[in-house]
Amino acid sequence: MVDSKQQWKAWIYLAPAIVLLLLFTVWPIINTVSMAFLEGYSGLTKVGGETTFRLGIGNFTRVVGHPDFRQALLNTVLLCVLTVPISTVLALLIAVALNSIKPLQKALQTIFFLPYVTNSIAIGMVFAAMFNVIGSIGTRRPMIVSYGVVNDIIRFFGGNWVNWINSGSEYWANMFVMVVYIVWNALPFKILVLLGGLQSINKQYYDAAKVDSTPRWRVLTKITVPLLSPMLAYVVITGFIGGFKEYTSIAGIFGENMGPAHDAGRMNTMVGLIYDSLEKDNQGGASAAALILFGIILVVTLINLWVSKKRTHY
Amino acid sequence: MKIVLKNLTKIFPSRNKKAGEEVIAVNNFDFTIPDGKLIGLLGPSGCGKSTTLYMISGLQKPTSGQIFFGDDDVTELSTENRGIGLVFQNYALYPHLTVKQNILFPLQNLRGEDKMTKQQMLERAYEAAKLVQIEELMDRKPSELSGGQQQRVAIARALVKMPRVLLLDEPLSNLDARLRLQTREEIRRIQKETKITTVFVTHDQEEAMSISDMIVVMKLGVVQQIGKPQEVYDSPENLFVAKFLGTPPINVFEGEIKSGKLYIGEAAVLETPGIDDQPVHVGIRPEGFILDDNGPLKCKLNNVEVMGRDVSIVSTHTASQNPQVRSIIDADNKIDPDTEEVRFALKPHKTFIFNKDTEERIFIEEK
Amino acid sequence: MSESIRTMHTPNVKKNSLRQKILRPVGLGGVYLFLFIMAAIVLFPFYWMVISSLKSLAEYRLSPPTFFPKTILLSNYAEAFTTASLGRLFMNTMYVGLVSTLLSLAITIFTAFAFARLEFKGKELLFAALLATMMIPGELFTITNYSTVISFGWLNSYTVLIVPFLVSIFYIYLLRQNFLQIPNELYLAAKVDGTSDFKYLWKVMVPLSLPTLISITILKMMGAWNSYIWPRLVANDEAHRMITNGLRNAFTDTTGDVNYPVQMAAVALVSAPLFLVFVFLRKYIMSGVSRSGIKG
Repeated sequence: MVDSKQQWKAWIYLAPAIVLLLLFTVWPIINTVSMAFLEGYSGLTKVGGETTFRLGIGNFTRVVGHPDFRQALLNTVLLCVLTVPISTVLALLIAVALNSIKPLQKALQTIFFLPYVTNSIAIGMVFAAMFNVIGSIGTRRPMIVSYGVVNDIIRFFGGNWVNWINSGSEYWANMFVMVVYIVWNALPFKILVLLGGLQSINKQYYDAAKVDSTPRWRVLTKITVPLLSPMLAYVVITGFIGGFKEYTSIAGIFGENMGPAHDAGRMNTMVGLIYDSLEKDNQGGASAAALILFGIILVVTLINLWVSKKRTHY
Repeated sequence: MKIVLKNLTKIFPSRNKKAGEEVIAVNNFDFTIPDGKLIGLLGPSGCGKSTTLYMISGLQKPTSGQIFFGDDDVTELSTENRGIGLVFQNYALYPHLTVKQNILFPLQNLRGEDKMTKQQMLERAYEAAKLVQIEELMDRKPSELSGGQQQRVAIARALVKMPRVLLLDEPLSNLDARLRLQTREEIRRIQKETKITTVFVTHDQEEAMSISDMIVVMKLGVVQQIGKPQEVYDSPENLFVAKFLGTPPINVFEGEIKSGKLYIGEAAVLETPGIDDQPVHVGIRPEGFILDDNGPLKCKLNNVEVMGRDVSIVSTHTASQNPQVRSIIDADNKIDPDTEEVRFALKPHKTFIFNKDTEERIFIEEK
Repeated sequence: MSESIRTMHTPNVKKNSLRQKILRPVGLGGVYLFLFIMAAIVLFPFYWMVISSLKSLAEYRLSPPTFFPKTILLSNYAEAFTTASLGRLFMNTMYVGLVSTLLSLAITIFTAFAFARLEFKGKELLFAALLATMMIPGELFTITNYSTVISFGWLNSYTVLIVPFLVSIFYIYLLRQNFLQIPNELYLAAKVDGTSDFKYLWKVMVPLSLPTLISITILKMMGAWNSYIWPRLVANDEAHRMITNGLRNAFTDTTGDVNYPVQMAAVALVSAPLFLVFVFLRKYIMSGVSRSGIKG
């Protein structure tokens, strides 16, 4: 079957993809890795600029030593550790609930998928509006015009209002808003996958559980969750990967300041850091940061796979 | 505990809504299952036997009619509250749990008076495992077991809480012939030991006949006959039951009643006093033939299969509805395989006459 | 088993019936209540966006707020449209989206066909290598691509928004799987009839894979609509700016005393096309998404 004519034809079909891949995928891998390990080397300057670069891990040490990096790493890890479990558990509960009802199931399923088809920046602006306080807060005698709808709801139930995202707000308040937004954003995909998984579980296991008079919570923890564990592992892994690449949702809420007005950059993430370096023409630093990010994602994914393999084999 | 089924009916709405056709899976089933007995629900696929079982379990709700456990009406009671054990056709063992965990599972759900300590549960689980001889497999996962082993685990899981009612859905269908024989003996033994009222569903008449106290033969949702296996075999009430029970199957001939005699072809084979003249179906059990050189039924001999204890004579007859007439006679009878023709006399109690249209049995008056 | 032959206690049918009659509806009611509350939380931002976009600034600043606008003010939308020059942004985004979707579809179809039906040396190895690159975060490519497009002189052009992202390994993988499901006999039969590969591809394989191609199209268009980081880096000029960047640029302040009704109107306008696509093509989006795990 494999004659030279077919060979030749196959490469014609592949040609456009190959050319583009060589240019925008293969070359970047080579170049980014080299830039990371070559000090003073830059894709921009290499054409006619300085040639005094040498092999070394200086880019890495500089990036890791930078306080911005530590802040970004802390933010990213915190966001992952907080949002992935919360959104997975919520999505699981919603998917199980959806799977157990008949009337309105399709309609509710559609509602829960809605946040998926949104623009992170645009809806981030809506969340900002909901948490925003209008007035002078930083002064000794604050003049509040509007507390924002979230604070209004808290006040309605007798709680104290919080400065969520405005100038002078605290780190944990910023983090809380980010977690709420990212969880809201992450739910649809997880619900979709988990519901699909639930619907493919053999109904006989549930019939057997009924015959054995199994209480509801025990069905959930002893039957549903273990049988769903491959899907759960999938959403957790993709959740972590997505979490480590978080950037636009923060830009949506805080704008390009990546933080409240009094402390710009406080909510910056790993990806944000890479772009900042890039805009500062620090290609080596950006490359090193990108490789570190890749390494973290790889390790986290491998750990997840390892754990889920130990927990799901049957 | 006896189980009473009263006018039990299950109608499935048509899958295709436009066609609007309903399927009557079970039609007006009336039966009292006596306490402590093993009942076989028997019939070809689609006869409603599994539906009946699932209605007893509560996993399916009857369209009309009632179910009683003892004197309690459980028709509306959900499965969880019925206290039954059920062995599924595909076993439905939890794949992520070991054999031990599978068997322990129902015990861990017991509440109230039945609640047990961990130690009691373990003891019970091992007793149940011993009953079905799987003690050595307790730490394996279901995927590491053969079909037969899985099936025993399923029985152990259903039995372990000592339910008042045990239901089995085609429990032997996935086993090979040898294991099937062995396991059905085990089921019988366990049932006799525990005296749990047991209902089991099968399409295999031999299986049902061999272990049941009573069998229920069903066809297209309608109960055809209920009785002890031997009674039903010896006295089928219609052609369907006669055909369904027995291996090799019953031989069916076109026949006619003329002035008090039953004719197959030209030959008058039996006296049938008191039956009006009419065309009929005649069913003759393979063991209902007597080799007789002067017998009235002449058949063309095909071959003779010697099976040790018995001899099976395969022949043909123009009035036979089956392509071959198969008769089983004692091996003491000598027959020359090269003869062209073989002649039989018939045993009257192994010969059944059925109405041509209704296929209902026409009984010959006893003399 | 002699000792434990004692069977379990007969369930108290009356008690169980009663419990069932009470617990069942309560349980089901609880499930619905939970779902309704969660649905309300999920929908709230959309609701807040719409009602805020219809309020006057004065009404918006009321505390406690009104949950339905007293007077419906559509002028916010007109103002948003001009403030953010949404018209221009819409056109840019549509142009980039359409061109990149068409080119990307063509490349995906050709490549998937070669991997699914044609024989050539190193096919499996090449495909495995392509799949492996899916693990690498996009940022790693972006760094070099940034300098590449600068040295090509592509900054602030449509080209820079379209060309670097034409090849998607994931779409190739998706379509190849679909192509592989088409029986090989069809292909061999076509060869016997003297049909060329190209004709077979367009007349048989493409029509048979239409649902996947539609999924790809929608996801690609949504990708263009939602793209933010790359365009901000390389084409943030007036003439080529994409909708998301335009929105972010026009309303730089998210906190403080912002004219939220107008901002929310702009957000609603940007979100509307996505909703329309969702309403009419939900099936394709959901089937594509459940296989991807990636947004956009």
